[in-house]
Parts: sequence; C-alpha cells; structure tokens
Amino acid sequence: MAKLSIDPITLEIVQNALSSIADELALVIMRAAYSNIVRDSMDYSTAVCDFSGKTIAQGLTNPVHLGSFPHAMKNLVYQQRDNMNKGDVFIFNDPYGSGGMHLPDFYIIKPIFINGAIEGYTATLAHQTDVGGIAPGGMGVFSKEIYQEGLRLPILKLYENDEPNKAIFEIIQKNTRMPKSVLGDIKSQVAACYTGEKAFIELFEMYGRKKFRMISEEIHNYAERIIRNNISRLPNGTYKFEDYLDGLGENPEPIKFAVNLNIKKDNITVDWTGTSPQVKAAINGPLPTTHAMSYLGVRCALAVKMPNCEGYMRAISVKAPKGSIVNPNEPAACGARGIICFRMFDTILGAFSKILPDRIPAANEGGSSAPHISGRDKNNKPFLASGGLMGCWGGSSFSDGFEGISNPAANLSNTPIEVLESQQPVQITKYAFVKNSGGPGKNRGGMALVRGYRLLETEAELVMRSDRRSITPYGLKGGLPGTPSWNIIRSGNKKILLPVCPMSAIKMVQNDEFIHIQAGGGGFGNPLQRNPKKVLNDFLNDLIDKDYAEQVYGVIISKNKVDKNETILKRKILKKNNNYKFSHFKLFHKSIGISYENWIKSYRT
Amino acid sequence: MNTKSNNFEKSYRVGIDIGGTFTDIVLLLEDGKIFTKKVNSTPEEYSYGAVKGLKELIIKHGLNVDNAKDVVHATTVATNTILEGKGARTALITTKGFRDILEFRRVRFPELYNLQYNKPPPLVERKNRFEVNERVDANGLINVNLDRGELTSIAKKINKLKIEAVAICFLHSYKNSIHEKEAKKILGELLSPDIFLCTSYEILPEIREYERTSTTVVNAYLGPVIKSYLGNFSKRVLDVGISAPCYVMQSSGGQMLFKSAIRSPAYLLESGPAAGVIAAVELAMKKNIKEVITLDIGGTTAKTALIENFEPKRTSEYEVGSGINLSSKLTRGAGYAVKLPFIDISEIGAGGGSIVWFDEGHLLKVGPKSAGSYPGPIAYNKGGKEITLTDANIVLGFLNSKFLLGGSMPIDGKLSEAAIKEKISKKINLNIYETANGILKIAIGNMVRAVKSVTTYQGKDPRSYTLVVYGGNGSLLASSIADDLNISKILIPNNSGVLSALGLLYANSTYEKVQSFQVLLDNLTTSKLIKVFDKLIETAKSEFPKVQKNNKRFNESLFLDLRYLGQAYEISVNVNRKHLSNIEKIKKLFHFEHQKLYSNSSPNETVELVNVRVSISLPSKNTFNIEKKSKFIEPKSKRFIYFTKPYGRKKGKVFTGRHELGRHKIYGPSIIEEYDTTIIIPKNWYAFTDQYMNIILKKI
Repeated sequence: MAKLSIDPITLEIVQNALSSIADELALVIMRAAYSNIVRDSMDYSTAVCDFSGKTIAQGLTNPVHLGSFPHAMKNLVYQQRDNMNKGDVFIFNDPYGSGGMHLPDFYIIKPIFINGAIEGYTATLAHQTDVGGIAPGGMGVFSKEIYQEGLRLPILKLYENDEPNKAIFEIIQKNTRMPKSVLGDIKSQVAACYTGEKAFIELFEMYGRKKFRMISEEIHNYAERIIRNNISRLPNGTYKFEDYLDGLGENPEPIKFAVNLNIKKDNITVDWTGTSPQVKAAINGPLPTTHAMSYLGVRCALAVKMPNCEGYMRAISVKAPKGSIVNPNEPAACGARGIICFRMFDTILGAFSKILPDRIPAANEGGSSAPHISGRDKNNKPFLASGGLMGCWGGSSFSDGFEGISNPAANLSNTPIEVLESQQPVQITKYAFVKNSGGPGKNRGGMALVRGYRLLETEAELVMRSDRRSITPYGLKGGLPGTPSWNIIRSGNKKILLPVCPMSAIKMVQNDEFIHIQAGGGGFGNPLQRNPKKVLNDFLNDLIDKDYAEQVYGVIISKNKVDKNETILKRKILKKNNNYKFSHFKLFHKSIGISYENWIKSYRT
Repeated sequence: MNTKSNNFEKSYRVGIDIGGTFTDIVLLLEDGKIFTKKVNSTPEEYSYGAVKGLKELIIKHGLNVDNAKDVVHATTVATNTILEGKGARTALITTKGFRDILEFRRVRFPELYNLQYNKPPPLVERKNRFEVNERVDANGLINVNLDRGELTSIAKKINKLKIEAVAICFLHSYKNSIHEKEAKKILGELLSPDIFLCTSYEILPEIREYERTSTTVVNAYLGPVIKSYLGNFSKRVLDVGISAPCYVMQSSGGQMLFKSAIRSPAYLLESGPAAGVIAAVELAMKKNIKEVITLDIGGTTAKTALIENFEPKRTSEYEVGSGINLSSKLTRGAGYAVKLPFIDISEIGAGGGSIVWFDEGHLLKVGPKSAGSYPGPIAYNKGGKEITLTDANIVLGFLNSKFLLGGSMPIDGKLSEAAIKEKISKKINLNIYETANGILKIAIGNMVRAVKSVTTYQGKDPRSYTLVVYGGNGSLLASSIADDLNISKILIPNNSGVLSALGLLYANSTYEKVQSFQVLLDNLTTSKLIKVFDKLIETAKSEFPKVQKNNKRFNESLFLDLRYLGQAYEISVNVNRKHLSNIEKIKKLFHFEHQKLYSNSSPNETVELVNVRVSISLPSKNTFNIEKKSKFIEPKSKRFIYFTKPYGRKKGKVFTGRHELGRHKIYGPSIIEEYDTTIIIPKNWYAFTDQYMNIILKKI
C-alpha cells in the first residue's frame, strides 16, 4: 500500500468537498446565465484550483473543456502572479498567449486570497453566443486568420478591488451581436466565482494553510497513482491510428490525424506526429485543445474513476508538431476547432481499440454539427438560430450504438425546438432518426439524425460546420463504416447539395429549408452474425426496411417474422460476395433520395 | 371503564404509508388520541396488507368503521412501476416528423467519460410512436390542419396492437391545444374504451417538448396500473365497511382524491417521501420554526429537503427511474423527465447499510452500495461479510453492541470490531476508533453534500436552520451532520417511527394548475391576468368533492413564472391578489427573488411572464393529544462513545426512551435508546423534551 502523507479519510472528505464546490459553481452559472448555449446546451465548465494554479476539481459539465484549464491557469499565473490582488477577477479568451481554445470560450477566473496570500482559484469557462467577427456565433469556418474571428481578449482584470472595469464591459458590449446574452452570461460566471470562493475559504479554514496545501498535493498524487496503475496493466508498445476530416469547401482534400500511442510502463505518450499541417480555415486547434483532447481520450479509454484534477495528467505526455493543425502558429484561425476535437478523440480511441478491443466502441457520428442561421429581422434586430446537433454512438462489443445521445467528448444538451422557434425566425420541419442509416455490424452503429430548418424571415445567411461525408465513421472488428452526412437546401423546387464545410455563408430566402443529415455510427463485428431477432426488431421499429434486412444482414423477413431457413441460405450467399458491404450505403441513399452513384465516387476508406 | 366502547362513538382519520418493506398505519381520533401499527407490506398487492392491518387496528381499539372521516395513503407503486418497467403498453402520438423526440431526450447523458454507459430505453417503443400531420407554430397559429383521416387509421392500428395507454403530445400545444383536444376526442370515439388516454396540454401545458412529451408518456404508462391499484384499494376499504373518501399523497405534498389521481398518476411518484416532509412542516408550524432542513436517513439512502416559512421547497425538474436523485441538475438524463411539482428532495446513497470499501487509489469510500437488511451489517451475524456504516457506529458506541430494537434483535458487535481492525485499521495504520470515526466522517461528508445541494447550492445558508431528523439512522447521525454544517439546533420528532404516516394526516387537499401565458410585463393588462387566474382557480376547485366547492377555507397561492427577456429559465414568484393590479410591484418582487437566488438582478431589463400557476388547497384540521408523561430516571447503564479528537473515548449515560428525561437538560456524551432509533448527544450538545415530547438537541 502506497504511503500517504495525509490519511485516506481526510483525503476522501476534502476531495468530495472540492468537487462539491466545483459543482456549485456550475449550478450558479446554469441558473443565472442568459443564453441557450449555456443554460440549455450546457456548453461551459468550472474548476477549483490550488494555490499554485493547478486544477484540483472540476464541475461535471463539458468534457472538451476539462483538460484546458491547466493551460489557461499556467498562463494566468505566469503572467499575472505578481500583479494579483484581493478582489481581482480575470477574463481572457485568446488562444495565442493566454491559454484559450477559441474566441467564443471566455475564461473568467478569480484568485482566492486568504490572510494575504493566494490559496486557490475559482475558474469558469463559458461558450459565448457571439463575439463578433466574420460570422455570427464565432463559427465562420472560412476565416483565414484569427483577426477575422472577433474580439480577442488577452488576460485582463474584469474586476479590480471587487469593482467592475466598465471599459472592458463596454468593449465587449460593442463587439458582439448579442450583447445582452453575452453580458448576462459573463455576470453569471462572475457570480459563480464569488460563490465558490466563499465555500473554498470555509473548507480551507478547517485545515489551515499547511495541511490544506498538503492535502491538495496528495489529491494530485492520488489521481496520478490510479491512472498509472491502469496504464501499467496495458502491454508496452506503440499503437498507431489514423482518421480524417473530409476537408473544406467544394473540393475537399482530406485532413489527416495520425496518432502514435506510446505505452511504456506507467506512462503514455500521445504523439500527433504525421498529422496534417495547419489550414487556412477556422478549424485549427491551438495546443490547449490538443492537450485537452489527449487527456480526455486516455481517460475515457481507460474507464477509470478518479478525481478531475491535474495529477492524472502527469502520466500523459502530449507531442504535437508545431505548424500542424493540432498545434498551429499564430494567427491561424480556430473558431470552429470543435470539429477537430472530435476527430482527435476518434483517432485516440481508434488506437486504443487495438489494445482494448472489448472496451472501445466503433466511431460515433463524428461530433456535433453546427448550423448557424443568422440575419436581421424587420426591425433590424439581429437573430441567430444555432445549437449543436448530436448524435449517436458506434456499436461495441457489448451493445448496439445508441441513437439520440450526445457525443461522449462534448456532453451537451440540445435546445428545445419550442424554445428555438419562439426566439428565432425558423421552424423545425423534422427531428428524427434516418431510416437505413448507421453502420451495420453484429452490434450496429447508432442511427443518424435528420433535422430541417425552414426560414421564416425574408432572408438569412447559413454557416455550416459538419463532416464525415467521404470518410465515414469507422467500424471495428468487421463492423461496417457508418453512413455519410449531407447538407441540403430546398428552395422552391430546387434541391441544392452543400459541402460539409462550405467556405462561404450560404444565402437563404424565406421558406427555404435547410436539412442536415448527420453521419450514422460505425458498426462492431460482422453484420452477418447479427442476431436476426435484433434485425427484425429494427425492422418493426421502422429503423430499416425489408430490403435492408435482406441485403445488409441476410435476414429474410416475411409476415413480420424471421424466416430462419431462408436467412441461413441468404447469409451463405452474402458471405461469399463482399459487395454486400456497400448495400447499406445504397439503401441509405435510396431512403434519403440522394444519388448513391455520385457519392460513391468521393467515398474514401 | 371499557376504553373500547369509549372509542366507538369517536370519529377518526386514517393515514397509511405503504413502503416497499413496511406499511405504517395511523389512526387519529377526534380527541387527539393516536393509534399506530406497523405491518409487512405485500408487494404483490399492496392494498391487501395495508387494509388488513387497518381492519385489525380498528377492531383492536373498538372503533366504528362508519366514523372514519377519510383515508389518506402514500404509495410507492408509481415509482416501482417505472423502476421495474412494468407499466402499460403505451403508444405515443406526435406531430409529423417528431416521433423520436422521446428518444432524443435532451441528448446529454449523466456519466461523463463512460463509454460503457447504458442509455435507458424509451417508455414507448418506436413502433408504437405514431405521427400525424398537423402543425401549430410558436405563436399558437395553426399552420397545418389536423389530418383526421390519418388519425382514424392510427386508431385502427392501435386497436390491433394490444395497447393499454395512449399519450398525445403535439408541438406548441401549450400555446394552442385545439389539435390535442380534437385528437383526444377522435381517439376517444375510436379506441376501445378501456385504453387510458391523456394529452400533454392537460398534464403539463408548458413549453419544452421533450419534458412535456416525457411527462405525458410517464402519465400514460402509469395510468392503467394506478387505476387498477387505486380501484383495488378503494374496493378493499369498502369491503371493510369504510365508505369515507380516499385520498392519495402527491409528490408535491398535497393530497388528492382518487378520481383525480386516476387521471394524473404522474403526480404520485414521490408520494411517500413527501409525506415525511409534510409532517415536518406541521411541526415547524406548531413550534414556529421558520427555517427547517429535513433529513431522513434509512438503511440505504439519506433524503433531505428544505422548509421555509412553513412551505417545503418545491421543484419541477425531476427524473423518475434515475436511481438516486441528488438535487444536482448537472447530471441529468439518467431517468425519465417529469416536469410536475415535487417537493425538492435530494437523495444520496448513504445510510446505515452503506458498504465500506477501498478504491484502487487506496482511498476509503462509503456507499453507495448497501448491504440492505439482508445479509445486512457484519454485526447482524446473518452472513454479511462487508463492513457497513452500522458496524462503524457499533464500534464507536453510537449503537448498542449487543442488541437493537429494544432488545428484540440480538447482534454481535465483536464481529464488527474484528472486521474493521483486520480489513481497514491495519492497512491505514489508524487505531480502531479513529478508523471507525473516519468511516463515519466520510458517510457524513456524503450526506452533507446532499444537504448542501438543497441549501448552499441554492444560495441558502444552512447555519440558521433547524435540522428535523427521522428514519432509522437519522437521530444517530444528526449531530455529526449538524456539526459539519454549523447547525446548532436539531429536532427529533415524537413518533418519528411513523412520521410519514402522520404527515399524511397533516397534508392539505391540494390541486395545482398551470397555464402558459407568454407576454412582456410591460404589455400585460391586469384585467386579463386576473381573468386567467380566476379561470385556473375555477378549474382547480372543480377537482374537489362537490360538498367542498363552496368552502370558504380555500387557500389560494398564486404564482407567476418570470424571467428577464432573453433568459432561458424562469423563476416562480409567489404573488397575492393585490399585486395583480400592480405590475411595478410584480417586477420588484421578481428582481428581489433573482437577487436572492443568483446574487444579481437587472432592474432596468425587460421582464417576461411565461406561465401562470395556482395552487388551491383546503387545510386539514387536527387535534392531537400527546401523552406527556415523563419523569426523570437516572440511567443505570453507561457505555463508551468515541468522538473526534480531542474528545476521544468517553463514558456516556444511556437513557431508555425520551420518557426518562423528565424536564431535565441532558448533557453529552449521552445516549437515548428507543425502540427503532438511537439518539446521540455529543459532548458539546445537550438535549431536552418539549411540550409535544419532541427531543430538541442544542449546541452549547
């Protein structure tokens, strides 16, 4: 048994109390924030840090954010430590120099002074509805430099001596299309920092400075111990995996994500060497993003329960080549970098699937799709209908992939349709699972979703970020890849197909309908081994049609029952003919009314 | 004189709390006398055991069945039906294009980092979710007319499918319910008459389609089960000869007539726990305590709620079937959303049976797994191999090491001691008492978190509150929890063993109604607002039995759900009649509430009204005649109790029951052992009984 400088009882009690404070911060924001993206989607995070700025606890909100606090804190402490006073509250969002990830994410952090010294920090991070820039919502995929992406805040004092710095508030107000929502959310972040501070001081005073600092350190050691235990159980070696983004615009070039997972005793190196260079579009991921995703990937793959503190990160090193899309040089644009977060996650899990085949599911939908429909109404007031769409999971050794569930890397909620429609001039035409979608497998991938938006105002601009059309979510262990995503605009009788990431804003006029079909999850295991009863059940639930059951799974259904003998025969035939591996793509396209023949030309494996 | 014939003429009320294991029955006579009985529950048919026990209790005390005024009961049937997946075969009818809303839920899942997460299956399978062409827009205007032909063919399909319940939920029906009404009418004519039919506008006319759909579906899913359960219950009560009206407890703490409950069974999900809180409300009123935290600690869970100004704090953000419902909204998605009024009860998996274990980082953990009552703690000597919180409490001297339940249940504390020494003390190098004390402190830490989730997490300071504790382990742990939260007053109610059953008799008949009414306060005409309220009140009153409708004692509580324009969530603000004609006053109340809850407000911003709510209740009146005989008896026995250093191990007096305290102040360390509970008075506390035979613990 490891030797502890603090007894395991005190440690458990303080650890529990600290995560309770982080949750309390998160609840304050959730209740007091203004925007849908914070309150309904929960795209925000909170943390409690120790005297040195190391994260000791984090609220249970958005996993993508969680590993990003260490970078932000390091920069804050390095740049401002000597300049911090009681009653200061800091704000920043700049990915180059302050530790942010992309401009919409505002960090608001308060040092906690006790008896004249900094003993901790309460930290918050919330995705703001709009921070100016070329496209509303900060998701202008086509930005080439960060200067086009909106307001850039280095580390600044938002409050000094508990007094707000009005200049900063005014600058923010003038630089966003949605000042009310942004200022409201900032207020909620500040309120959370103050609330958390009170609770932190109470806890601190129960132990005193010396002991509390020892406890904090011991919490880090504890998490480190758990993760090292888990890593040391894995076979040493280097495990490689590659996955891709489709690319940008009308003629996309695939963007490669290559990871080398190096396991040596109780250390893991996540090495991104071989990943594509940075691009002239807003999908570059500054280093904090890459660190966050690497930690998250390891944590999910290992499936360990441990506190959300920095200690466990000590066992993980991250390498990202300078100038690559996962460590771009300033001033690369990064507003829509969420998409590469998801792909990094898929890539790491892919590598882990070689070590832990029973635990890692096939690829999920590929991450949230982010349509932004914006413009000005009759009274010249700006509107913005946004909100990430998710999602489904890939099949796994233990289960079919779920549909109607958030991507595990960004555990967000959806915005209720009725709320969206009451606030923005769009009408949702459908929100449903797509028939014949997903990747076939012994355990199939989750079904794709479709959502349609009809524009009610005279005109608007659509900015879209999506992926997974030519390179679809991977299957595992003989499971087939998931189905591709599509972006469609119906205008009168016209049907226009858009690229996954159009490199300009698309004009929409009244009654135009924008339809997004998301990718379906990858399958796990040989589809011909799928239990025919499960195939029948999918058929009865109207998730697949009869042809699909027959051509993809070799299951013959007649009169709502499985014809066992015919099924055995059909499966024998399919087994000899590998063409069946494309049947699901054909039948999927048939069900959505888009040409399979055109799509297959661009399909890559 | 024969007491039996004495009682025959007296009228009385009946309270029955049916739990998973035990059923408590309380009779309250007009002269304030109380008779109680505990019987085993009969899960295969709960009303059987309950009514059988009731009959025995009535006979035993010579009461006349004709003199029963009412029968109020609490039930776990609704929750269990969901937990066990035994509800009706249910169909759902939605707007075309939206049948999967139920399965999308809010997409967020409650277990971050867990790729092995298991999503709960929808209560209505996709094949039983039907879409019909119709559309109402966000302003309540009809965009697409209801396709009656389509509905007719759906009805035919449903009739073939052995469906037992149908839920109807269309988009924006909270704004305009005409299509839902029409659909219900058409289906009502076409479906076989025993199919339970309910619409979303009736059960929850509020914005947010998933929550509304889910609530409607839960209601439908429970409908046939609750109908047959309540039917059996009233039949059995009638068979005994009692023809008094039967009520059932709602999750909000009000009671409801069976006829209303049959239509809205989703209101019954937290029936039992609500009753306990209502009993605490009554106590708070009697003793004029304005701020109360209730704490109910059993073998597996600790439940806690807040009472302010004699009103329990309520919530409508609830999920059923999620297991433990810690009042943290961060980990939503584990169960099925039910957005109806609930007493905001926060629950955590920590109780006497909680198992003590090491995680792989060598940290000591307590719970959430419980050894239950079988095999139970090691000391029970029934084959339990895992150390529980109860074992630690025995080592600490908090519990008697030789027997429980007033001597009727022998236990062996030496087994606890040996196990803790061997399995834990040696490993972490602490002596046995420090180890047991550590286990207790960890469990207390978990329970404190539950209390925080209803206090500090919501901007309330627990220090000024009185802790009202009940449940088998409540009074044992109360002072430790209070110490952690800096609470200095604890109340352990008389009859705490049957507190929930008593709570049933304190509950008011209550009906709540809500209506969506979206308008900026600046554009609101007060006459319109008053009209909306009057209509809602009328609807609520129609739920009461005819004889009561003109009763003058009705309490009406009016609420406006308000928010700053642009905010996504609203706050329910309690208003009175006078406020209704004074919009400025309403605004002020809202700013004030906002400030109180979130420590900020924006008096210059536009305020928007979202919903109008009423709660109409008819107070119940009771007289209680508490046996107050109490005489100080110097305890003969003493035992060692261990407290956190610097106190350490000290000998304390052991009283057997609160009737031995007389008017004395009993200083700690002392113990009061009662039949089903043990009260610990730590060193820096003292205890005394009040005029109702409650025990008050105060910090020195």
